[in-house]
Amino acid sequence: MSTSTPKENLVMEHLVSLTYSEELTPILERYVDALIDGRIVGHKCPSCGRVYVPGKGYCPICVVPTTDADEVEVGDHGTLTGFTIITPVAYYGQTETEPFVYASVLLDGSDSNLGGQEVVGVPHDKLRSGMRLRAVWKPKSERSAEGVSNRGWGSVSSVIDAFEPSGEPDKDRAEYEEHIF
Amino acid sequence: MAATDIAVVGYAQTPSTRRARESEVQLLVPIVTEALQRAGLDRREVGFTCAGSCDYLTGGPFAFVSNLEAAGAWPPISESHVEMDGAWAMYEAWVRLQHGDIDTALVFGSGKSSPSKPEEMWAQQLDPYYLAPLGVDPASLAGIQARALLDAGKATERDFANVVVRSRRNAKDNPNAQVAGDFSVDELLAEPYVRAPLRKHDLPPISDGAVAVVLARGDRARALCKRPAWIRGLDHRIEVHQPGMRDLTTSTSTALAARKAGYDGGPLDVIELSSTFSPQELILRDALGVDADANVNPSGGPLAANPVMATGLVRIVEVARRIVEGSASRGLAHATGGQVLQHNLVCLMEGD
Repeated sequence: MSTSTPKENLVMEHLVSLTYSEELTPILERYVDALIDGRIVGHKCPSCGRVYVPGKGYCPICVVPTTDADEVEVGDHGTLTGFTIITPVAYYGQTETEPFVYASVLLDGSDSNLGGQEVVGVPHDKLRSGMRLRAVWKPKSERSAEGVSNRGWGSVSSVIDAFEPSGEPDKDRAEYEEHIF
Repeated sequence: MAATDIAVVGYAQTPSTRRARESEVQLLVPIVTEALQRAGLDRREVGFTCAGSCDYLTGGPFAFVSNLEAAGAWPPISESHVEMDGAWAMYEAWVRLQHGDIDTALVFGSGKSSPSKPEEMWAQQLDPYYLAPLGVDPASLAGIQARALLDAGKATERDFANVVVRSRRNAKDNPNAQVAGDFSVDELLAEPYVRAPLRKHDLPPISDGAVAVVLARGDRARALCKRPAWIRGLDHRIEVHQPGMRDLTTSTSTALAARKAGYDGGPLDVIELSSTFSPQELILRDALGVDADANVNPSGGPLAANPVMATGLVRIVEVARRIVEGSASRGLAHATGGQVLQHNLVCLMEGD
């Protein structure tokens, strides 16, 4: 075993940047066209009836294919099923400076949450699961496909600015507890 | 129960394409379903599931988790994932089956190279000891390997071109191939270098694709398949990661894996090699000691279709399919990982 004085660790900084480019899948292309039109669509499993927003092209529970023929429209009101308040730390690429909400919203008629949604019009300490929300749409002329990608769990930010309280009474936990994400 | 009592009883693969519009899991769903259907197995009966893929290819963190949706992971299933070619996922499933408490397994491998720039992305893979980026891409390393082969007098550029001509000709009969056709050695040799002494055709195409395999053990295998492709031996061996520390013109790990898998040099009706770059076919043939007229890569091999992370498992399927369909009785499949044939797997299969 060496008894020499410990030396400083060698640290090598290496910032990696990789470029990926891809087209939206045909299902997401349809999804974003509908969003720009002001409609939120998903796929309804022909076997179990669960609705996924956006559609996946299959039901992950039943493993049966879904197609455009299984498309259904869901509401733009929904229920806050879960949330976290993130205090941003400075790292490369971080643009947030103030604490912000990351919420999962179960739209009416959907069985899957939109993840990572912003909630406005309510103080952070008043947020609660079961709270009813509605989408704050961008004006039609400002909507784009830009924020929708083949990855991610609810990228609608280029069409819907955020969600805000709708004023409807809270949902009972039993009504959404199978859908917490 | 013997290790030789496990067989491939179902399989399916997507065609290999330059750019698939579907997501990786959307590529997997139909072929996983098809492989299970071919075996006549309900997915709820599958004892163990193992997948091979690489999130860096599509740049989607946890893409491998989404991929699992193709297997139907609810109610919860027993599963595993390797950040390696699907052939190693099959190795894990094969080992798992030898525990003896389950008798079926599902394996798949998938990759979409199209969203990335492979020469940029692979160069960021990390050295296993210093965790520093390798800084060199597979094609450049394959160029160094090809140069070593030429300098050693073991091959000529004409030999490389011959491999390409045969691969592309064979691929004409493979509906899943991406590059196929009749070419002459002289016209190929007239092409410019892209990584001297390699020309574009010495490199594999950039591919999107996926493959799935169903394994079964003993009587269950016989019940699920009329003529199972029995895995008589399966072994993998790895060499040092530093390419400068080994002789790039040979593949001792392939030779060792073949021996450990029980390959005795006897006749093989079909051989499928993961010779991703044309010179590697010559190195692998030499390491395995196969005859000059052996039936190597009748599918066209990786030079005709290279869905990275599925390429090796496709080799196993190409051999297994010929055994199941009865056109071959004994075959050998090879998969590779790491840099310039660093890590090699050999699977020896036979029909009854």
